[in-house]
Amino acid sequence: MTAPERAASRIDIRAFACPMTWVKTRIALERLAEGETLEVWLRAGEPLESVPRSAEEDGHRVLAVEPLPAEGDGAYRLLLEKRRPGDAPVLP
Amino acid sequence: MTSLSGKRVLVIGAGGLGGPALLTLAAAGVGRLVLVEDDAVETSNLNRQPLFQEADVGRRKAAAAAARLRAIFPSVEVDARDERFDAANAEALAGAADVVVDGSDNFETKFLANDAATRVRRPLVHAGVLRTTVQLLTVAPSGLGGCLRCLFEAPPPPGSVASCSQAGILGPVAGFAGALLAAEALRLLAGERGTYEGRLFTYELRSGRSRLVLVRKRPGCLACAGRQVLGSSAPAACDAPAAPAGGAA
Amino acid sequence: MSLSDDRIARWARQLLVPGFGEEAQERLLGARVRVVGIDAVASAALVYLVQAGVGRLWLDDPEDVSPADLAGWLFPPSAVGTSRVDAARSALAPLSAFVQVDRYPTGGVPTAALVCAPSVVQAVTSAEAARRAGIPHVVVEPDGDGGAVVSVPRGAPCYSCARSTAGAGRPPEPGVAALAALGAAELIHLMAQPGSVTGRRVELVRGVATARPTARLAGCACAGAQPAEA
Repeated sequence: MTAPERAASRIDIRAFACPMTWVKTRIALERLAEGETLEVWLRAGEPLESVPRSAEEDGHRVLAVEPLPAEGDGAYRLLLEKRRPGDAPVLP
Repeated sequence: MTSLSGKRVLVIGAGGLGGPALLTLAAAGVGRLVLVEDDAVETSNLNRQPLFQEADVGRRKAAAAAARLRAIFPSVEVDARDERFDAANAEALAGAADVVVDGSDNFETKFLANDAATRVRRPLVHAGVLRTTVQLLTVAPSGLGGCLRCLFEAPPPPGSVASCSQAGILGPVAGFAGALLAAEALRLLAGERGTYEGRLFTYELRSGRSRLVLVRKRPGCLACAGRQVLGSSAPAACDAPAAPAGGAA
Repeated sequence: MSLSDDRIARWARQLLVPGFGEEAQERLLGARVRVVGIDAVASAALVYLVQAGVGRLWLDDPEDVSPADLAGWLFPPSAVGTSRVDAARSALAPLSAFVQVDRYPTGGVPTAALVCAPSVVQAVTSAEAARRAGIPHVVVEPDGDGGAVVSVPRGAPCYSCARSTAGAGRPPEPGVAALAALGAAELIHLMAQPGSVTGRRVELVRGVATARPTARLAGCACAGAQPAEA
């Protein structure tokens, strides 16, 4: 995936564990306008596996997932685009 | 009430489902409540688990739940087991109870409760919650109705469930299911037929849609044949989403 | 305004419910709910309203705790003979520092109401007061281990249009906690997500819930102009 333009907002959830990781992300998305992007800094492992999946299940788009070498090993950057009205959430 | 004082109910879990079930059973005067719970109280439990107060965060749930129940209902005997309901203790615990109430929050335990209760021929009341949908099923040893494995052969594979986006839950939704669990157990203890015997009840609290679906014994069901040994299944990824057995939503 | 981290951590699990987000939580935190009738039936609903983060609960009940109230979730036997409101306040306070539980202040203006009144007359009167004030309300009608809850969003057919015509139900049994939890869920949905729940009556009979929309009775005064927003 390519790393696109600047995000409208950025959050760092590396200090949190599930379920706070996704809750913080969800609330940050809620504060954005439709189609705006959110940059999320998160840790490898459970957050990196579950946050993008939860975002897609809620109908948001994952634009990029890439390591953040400047922040050390295990730090990742996730770029999400807030769901637009037409995007249906993925039902389980 | 007098006959209830001689009864013994096993409640698996003391959280969002087990908590309201325990409170309701204790209020009804069930003589002995055995609760099995191996977690500690976390802050994120406090939106929905009625047995726990802010000061309980960090305490073992079994001890905190027992203390709360004894404080409100001093005449009820509470046997709190700070252990996991697992293959090693499941049949002994279920076999010692008049009714088994499944208030657990993960598929593995729900299927284990089903298998153990079926093998030792004790009635089981099952509940699950996913977001705003509750589901209940009673598995009676003598009944013609099916069990959890007649409905869903096995727990879903690890990774297919329990993502955080499915972990959302409101307290009173779980409380509704938990109190229904207890009310059903009370019917069984009174010798009445259970509402959910051989019938899966689902209710979605926002739309108000309800369904009552017949669950028949499935030919070849291993649990009903008393042969099922629970396979391994990964624990939930999240602070234990209280999920139903199979897509109820 | 946005939720602080300690509030997000407390209500994390409900903030994950689809459609229930930060805004919904803030509506709950800003709510003032008058609860009429603080008996065994109301007890489970009170616990869930406090745990969900309803900012302020106003308890309205002149009675003392009776032995029958011990069939609820709040009162130990030692509370019998003390004021229901005081006993409920001390039972509820340790559940959440974010929530304020007080005796209903005379003249207080609530934003929603939960009616668990012991008599039909009191239920009708309390519901009518809520309707006139233009606030959403839920009325709980216990009957044994079940009964009904009537949800009245602003502008919906009133409680009198939807109430049971069979008079008071059987005395409540402990299983009525399910009905109380359902009532709390209905009220939380009405407050947190206006429009998510329409006027309806949910019957709970032997563990089976059935919801149907309420209909206005011909000639009922609730068909008139709606009062201004509270």
